[in-house]
Amino acid sequence: MAAFLASCGIEGQSQDADSEENAGLTTDQVNGTLNFANWPLYIDRAKGENPTLIDFTEATDIEVNYDEVIQANDSFFGTIREPLANGDPIDYDLIVVTDWLIARMGRLGYLEELDHSKLGNFDANAGAIYKDPNYDPGNTYSIPWQSGITGIAYNRALTGRDFTSMSDLFDTEFAGKIGMFTEMRDTISLMLLLNGVELDSATIEDVEEVQQQLLQQVDDGIVRQYYGNEYADALAREDIVATIAWSGDVIQLTLDNPDLRFVVPDDGGILWVDNMAIPQNAVNPIDAHEFMNFVYQPDIAAQIVGWVNYICPVPDAQEILADTKGYKPVAESPLVFPTPEMETKLHRYKVLDEDEEQEWNDLFQQVLQG
Amino acid sequence: MREKRRRRVAYFLILPGVAFLTVFFVVPMFTMLSTSFQEGTFEGGFTFTGHWQNYTESFAAFDTQIYRSLLYGLIVTVATLLISFPMVYWIAFRGGRRKNLYLLLLLLPFFTPFIIRTLAWKQILADNGILLGSLKNAGLVPEDLQLLATSTAVLGGLIYNFLPFMALPLYVALERLDHSLLDAASDLYSTRRQAFFKVTLPLAMPGVFAGSLLTFIPSVGDFINAELLGSVNTTMIGNVIQREFQTNLDFPTGSALSFVLMIGILVGVFLYARALGTEDLTG
Repeated sequence: MAAFLASCGIEGQSQDADSEENAGLTTDQVNGTLNFANWPLYIDRAKGENPTLIDFTEATDIEVNYDEVIQANDSFFGTIREPLANGDPIDYDLIVVTDWLIARMGRLGYLEELDHSKLGNFDANAGAIYKDPNYDPGNTYSIPWQSGITGIAYNRALTGRDFTSMSDLFDTEFAGKIGMFTEMRDTISLMLLLNGVELDSATIEDVEEVQQQLLQQVDDGIVRQYYGNEYADALAREDIVATIAWSGDVIQLTLDNPDLRFVVPDDGGILWVDNMAIPQNAVNPIDAHEFMNFVYQPDIAAQIVGWVNYICPVPDAQEILADTKGYKPVAESPLVFPTPEMETKLHRYKVLDEDEEQEWNDLFQQVLQG
Repeated sequence: MREKRRRRVAYFLILPGVAFLTVFFVVPMFTMLSTSFQEGTFEGGFTFTGHWQNYTESFAAFDTQIYRSLLYGLIVTVATLLISFPMVYWIAFRGGRRKNLYLLLLLLPFFTPFIIRTLAWKQILADNGILLGSLKNAGLVPEDLQLLATSTAVLGGLIYNFLPFMALPLYVALERLDHSLLDAASDLYSTRRQAFFKVTLPLAMPGVFAGSLLTFIPSVGDFINAELLGSVNTTMIGNVIQREFQTNLDFPTGSALSFVLMIGILVGVFLYARALGTEDLTG
């Protein structure tokens, strides 16, 4: 029995890095098709169509199959993990995932190395903070799509005061009305910053301390729920008065409710980056490069960010938006084009190795399970 | 000769079912059983080491969620039974020619997908939503009452979602009940109450049993209701397993927990079958 069971062991999930390099891209030709997996509401839209995709097809003759299939990094990774581990192509030539998942997928050999000779616009137009990031040195596997800030959103009318720190989310006055995030990295990193810990040098003891604080917060009945994307609905419905939040969501929410505010905590906020990357053995890798290069033209970048309102990796887009009728507020919003003063308060997630990731996840899981 | 051929035909008939279950149930079960005794990491690969501690460790870590899930499953089973019995009794005995229409009405909400219905409850139960908002405005409930993110909401969602799984088997049992037995009971001077407890209820037991299994088993393992309507303190074992597989990528722990859950359910069902007595269940 044991022998039989042993025979169905699970192979190592990591692809052999050497064979990967030798294999290279599946083609060096433009095939005329691009299968693009992205998150919902994450590209400009007008009259039921996506102007940027139309412009791209007009400019390059590449048809785009655009699929808003990614709801969360974890669950999306869960759906593509199996074929990637087997070395099979997935259904997409281009995916958008968050920085830490880029680091993991790069480490596993699940991503194609980018050919930067085809990405001239990125080199010319990307902001300095987007080049050579800690999660993907040299932009080997990825270049940014949009980025955002993890901070605090609150309903000024219901709180009656301004929130400036993560410690405000521990105020018993708002018991049962506070939201936290199921994204381990966001919640833990903000708490580490509250405790004055430099993220890059955070140790497991630091995280254990955070865990105790979070467990206490639940015990005290302060937390209503740990939310994923649906925190925005809860905030809009006034089920919660304050929560950890992503900048781009709040900009859109404030259009409906001016009482909603977003703040980068004085203790520090997180700048995270969603990146475009090409899964290994993608069928149309050159088409994907064409698209990546295309969206780094300032006018296209402006068109996208003018609609999605996250943070644009192309600084020149700000001027273009400022000159475009109706887009002045976006161009002036520090949540789309952060001010230098805000940038000093922003930190990046620590890049976790596999053991750390498991330990942090285990500690955080205990908080989530009550 | 003919006997032999008939038997061969019988085997032939069960072949598709057996093949299907082998490929999609038995084989995956073995893979999972093997995984539950493995050690390692996602990136480095998992290897079979007979690491049975996966069971003891994961049970120790998540016993609260396992007991909570079994308790929720029990509450859901009893509640759906109490709610659906009078309803389908009425349909089966008093429904007349409109029986099928009433059954259709009972099932109508379930033409909408599970997730959509549960999300709808989220809107309905919001602190200032259609239900609580109106009750609060009318001053009928305290201003700070909340249902979402409580066990009430999770249990409500589970009971609502699993109601048909109890109602339909019960209906089938009551529908085929021979009414002349009830006439006979009253001819023999039984009161209606006695007839119900001595005739109707025992004959409905196969339906109760089937309905209980169909309700209890999936509700114990459910994670959608706890995910959408619950909070940290209503986490069920399904949520833990889902997170172990999808977020933490700790397949051995997830597999071990799945087997612990399966064993828990089997024990529960076994005790239940014993308590009811097997001869009652063959109808």
